[in-house]
Amino acid sequence: MKTSWIVVLVAFLCASCQEEVFLDLDQKDARIPVIEGHWTDQGIYNEVKISLSKNYYDSLEQELIRDAEVFVKELSTGRRITFSYLNATRSYRPNPFERAKVGETYQLNVNWKGQVFQSEGLMLEAPTVDSVTWEYKEKRLFRDEGYFLKVYGKIPFPDNNYYRIRVIENDTLKNQREDYLLFDDAFGLQVFEEGLELGYAFQKNDRVRMELYRLNKDAFDYLSQLVSLLFNDGGLFSPPPQNPESNIRVVKGDSQVLGYFVVSPVLTRTVTLPNK
Amino acid sequence: MSFYRSQLFICLFFIGTTVFSQEKKRVQGQVFDASNQQPLIGASVYWEDQPQQGTTTDLEGNFSLPATELPARITLSYLGYEKSIRTIQVRDLEKVQKFYLKAEDFSLEEILIQERRGDEQVKNMELGKSTLSMETLQSLPALFGEVDLLRSLQLLPGVKSAGEGTAGLFVRGGSADQNLVQVDGAPVYNASHFFGIFSVFNPDGLKKVDLYKGNMPSSFGGRASALIDVAFREGERDRIHGEGGIGTISSRLTLQGPLLGEKSSFLISGRRTYADLFLKLSSNPDIKNNQLNFYDLNGKAAFTLSDKDKLSVSSYQGSDLLGLDGQFALGWENWVSAINWNRVNSDSSYFDLQGYHSRYNYQVKFDNEENGFDWTNSLSETGVKATWTRVLASKSTLFWGAHGQVYHFAPSDLKPAPKNPIDRRQTQGVQGLLGNAFIGITQEFSDKLTAELGLRQGVYTQVGEGKVYQYPNNAPNPDVDPSDSVFYGKGELMQRYQGLEPRIAFRYLLQPEFSLKLAYNRNFQYVQIASNSSAGLPIDRWVLAGQYIRPIRSDQISLGAFRNFDQNRWELSVEGYYKDLDQVIDLRNGARILLSDQVETELLSGRGWAYGAEFLLRKNKGKTTGWLGYTWSRAWRQIDGISRDRPYNPRFDRPHDLSLVLNHQFSPAWTTSFTFVYSTGQAVSFPVGSYVADNQSLPLYSDFRNENRFPDYHRLDASVTWKNPDPGRKWKGSWNFGVYNLYGRKNPFSYDFRILYNNDINYSPSDGKVVSARPGVVMTYLFTFLPSITYNFEF
Repeated sequence: MKTSWIVVLVAFLCASCQEEVFLDLDQKDARIPVIEGHWTDQGIYNEVKISLSKNYYDSLEQELIRDAEVFVKELSTGRRITFSYLNATRSYRPNPFERAKVGETYQLNVNWKGQVFQSEGLMLEAPTVDSVTWEYKEKRLFRDEGYFLKVYGKIPFPDNNYYRIRVIENDTLKNQREDYLLFDDAFGLQVFEEGLELGYAFQKNDRVRMELYRLNKDAFDYLSQLVSLLFNDGGLFSPPPQNPESNIRVVKGDSQVLGYFVVSPVLTRTVTLPNK
Repeated sequence: MSFYRSQLFICLFFIGTTVFSQEKKRVQGQVFDASNQQPLIGASVYWEDQPQQGTTTDLEGNFSLPATELPARITLSYLGYEKSIRTIQVRDLEKVQKFYLKAEDFSLEEILIQERRGDEQVKNMELGKSTLSMETLQSLPALFGEVDLLRSLQLLPGVKSAGEGTAGLFVRGGSADQNLVQVDGAPVYNASHFFGIFSVFNPDGLKKVDLYKGNMPSSFGGRASALIDVAFREGERDRIHGEGGIGTISSRLTLQGPLLGEKSSFLISGRRTYADLFLKLSSNPDIKNNQLNFYDLNGKAAFTLSDKDKLSVSSYQGSDLLGLDGQFALGWENWVSAINWNRVNSDSSYFDLQGYHSRYNYQVKFDNEENGFDWTNSLSETGVKATWTRVLASKSTLFWGAHGQVYHFAPSDLKPAPKNPIDRRQTQGVQGLLGNAFIGITQEFSDKLTAELGLRQGVYTQVGEGKVYQYPNNAPNPDVDPSDSVFYGKGELMQRYQGLEPRIAFRYLLQPEFSLKLAYNRNFQYVQIASNSSAGLPIDRWVLAGQYIRPIRSDQISLGAFRNFDQNRWELSVEGYYKDLDQVIDLRNGARILLSDQVETELLSGRGWAYGAEFLLRKNKGKTTGWLGYTWSRAWRQIDGISRDRPYNPRFDRPHDLSLVLNHQFSPAWTTSFTFVYSTGQAVSFPVGSYVADNQSLPLYSDFRNENRFPDYHRLDASVTWKNPDPGRKWKGSWNFGVYNLYGRKNPFSYDFRILYNNDINYSPSDGKVVSARPGVVMTYLFTFLPSITYNFEF
């Protein structure tokens, strides 16, 4: 909302302009490992990506770390689930039959060049998704014209209510900064029972897949801060930019670490919109 | 009342330099403005052959001067008025003499820098105080032609802006919420329109503004950094007058005159923008269907109740409305009212009583059946202040008083529309009481050495009803649930703080036109904004001191040298200061505070310090006037949890800051003004790399805050004013043509670090096919060569 107002104001101050500039930026001497770990109750989602940070103006190509030792430990039993690097997915993957079990706490371990990184997460029970409906709506304030989906379900949990919905439209992840759908119970969860409208306008024949994650708070906070950073325009109305606070810690070594570890159930639903 | 009080102190100061003798006969008189018969306050009165032993007029223009050997010539002078000299005979002692001073050529009023005595900066006790007259302010080139009080103060040494086009002030290393902005003694909680681009003060309704950035008298307090003391104008008492202006984005009208005969007056002043009209010119329906406007309305009624009593009632109301498509609206409003009673008990005894109420509220409303909501919040401060002033003997003045304040911060309340399934969200209200007692004395030890010693004792109490959460180890943490909570009933004591605030100032006169001053000030602040953005937003969360939020403490020591030249035509001052701040707050990464009852879990606190040297050269008289100000300063914060607990510079730390203001009167009809500003770029954080997480390319920031700088800021503004030189006309009009940023400097407002698609800064992947993507930096700049035109009139 704040950004919308600033857009209006900037439009009013019609003398304002934007242009691309080149700034002589400082550079980090050492590249920092970036770890993104997903450990869920569905094998297809379980993977760990490890890459390195780079200089700001470098190309977007990621430098991947392929030689790390990666495993997830089930803390109650001490059982190790090993992840191996797969060139096809450019990530570390476990045996596809390995799954997270509700109530267990899992520890991610990454060993690379003498450095050890760890993070823990509790596998929470999944909420219930009963149905998904759609309705065609005319253009509204903050919404384009199109089909809008509503997700109906139940969230019966008194705490640990931190959720993310990812939406894939015709095999393309909706991945712009305004596409993030993160919610907690700050405004109650009745909305989920009465139908949570996804804020995207879909078109006829669209095939839409939704993935609902129930996150641990630290992973939710990481993603919330990530979205804030994406909206941070460096202006006077934005807070000083900071990296999202990782829930991964450095156990051994003097490197920093970036990224996050998610332990979550995943509920998926797919709908195909009508041809009219 | 503040205006009168300050005049009173000036009067008292100079009265204090006069040797009184009860046995000696005296000349009694009264001084008026010849044009409207209004009493002139603070006019200088002295015998022509004894200019060092004079007096000044009081609230009603009265004076009493010990007689000399008669007949003798008495001189009356007042800045901006022609001097009056009259021979006094012995028989004249039997009756009150009346003097009517004529204003100097009306065009001179436009180029006065300050309405004060020529030698005031050398001889007064004020260190780190600046005064701007409305005439000076109105002569400066202005953004959109809108004369702006707060932005004009940014041209003074020691005062920084948040950034391009904003009216927020950062004084001597303090944050914007550490400034007390008050009108006629009543605080204004959000002094800006349009997210800080304009301040709330319509200049037509104002008398003057005093900025205290160093030595604040003990009668003022409550903020850690500065006092911006604004005085509304009183109406003239001779006849109905009007004035106004039609500008590029707003128009304004002021009416004033006698209210109930010549013993009372009124002034009412209004201003409204019509920015909406510009939006409607847009072809973009997303812009043209929006509302964007603000208005100000202020009025003041003044009554002379008797020879000794004066009463004034003033009120200000201002509001902003930003609307989208008739469905979504954000509005905010200030409503400030004050009543002031000034009583002159005798030549040596005065009493001021003041009451005020200030309310600020905002509303965010989305008118939609399924997703709509109505979010409101308000806060208020109500206060009563009494001040007694007594001239003790010949060389000392004592003042004392009390100031009681009641804070009420209402719950922030978000009500969903009937069919919106989200829960209603309501924070708890917070109440606080602040009682202050103050005393001060100005003592002239010798012709050269004068001291002002003051003490202020504040006792702050947070009172119920309210709930305080308890945390493990008494350490609020957003990741840890409260272990318990304690409920306090209505009026029940929740938390108490108290603090003694000494204020000490010395002035030593090395020569009649050269003085040294030294001051030490301590202030406590019990209310502040929980925010970490540099510019204020209307929905900013004000928080009161409580169990987990301690009051800010500020200590400042300052030293200055003041020198006038060429019969006070030139003023030179050099001031240095060091300020220490404790318990300043900042926010954790990702803090969510607007609708939270556990704000304490999102706050970090620490200390700050600032130091600097300020240089000011002014020319006050003549056809060319103006000033050159230069400040070298640094500001620091050290807050655990930020910048790896190491000191860092806040964004407004700008070590070099230079302002040049020039006014030149070519003729009675033509006047031109220039302002040039230069400052070091803002302290900011630029990325030191990038990385990919969650399929996003993210800028990578250092752990250390604000280690980079925007490019240096500089800008030249110019304006030309033409007015009809015939002062006899009933309708006087003038045209002002201005240009903001004359040479079109692209001063950055922000840098956005993001992926650029197809080498086009405006291209988005949702626009179509992406053929290239790379990291880039997009600079936004706001105002380049912005002309404006304003027609001003008076009748």
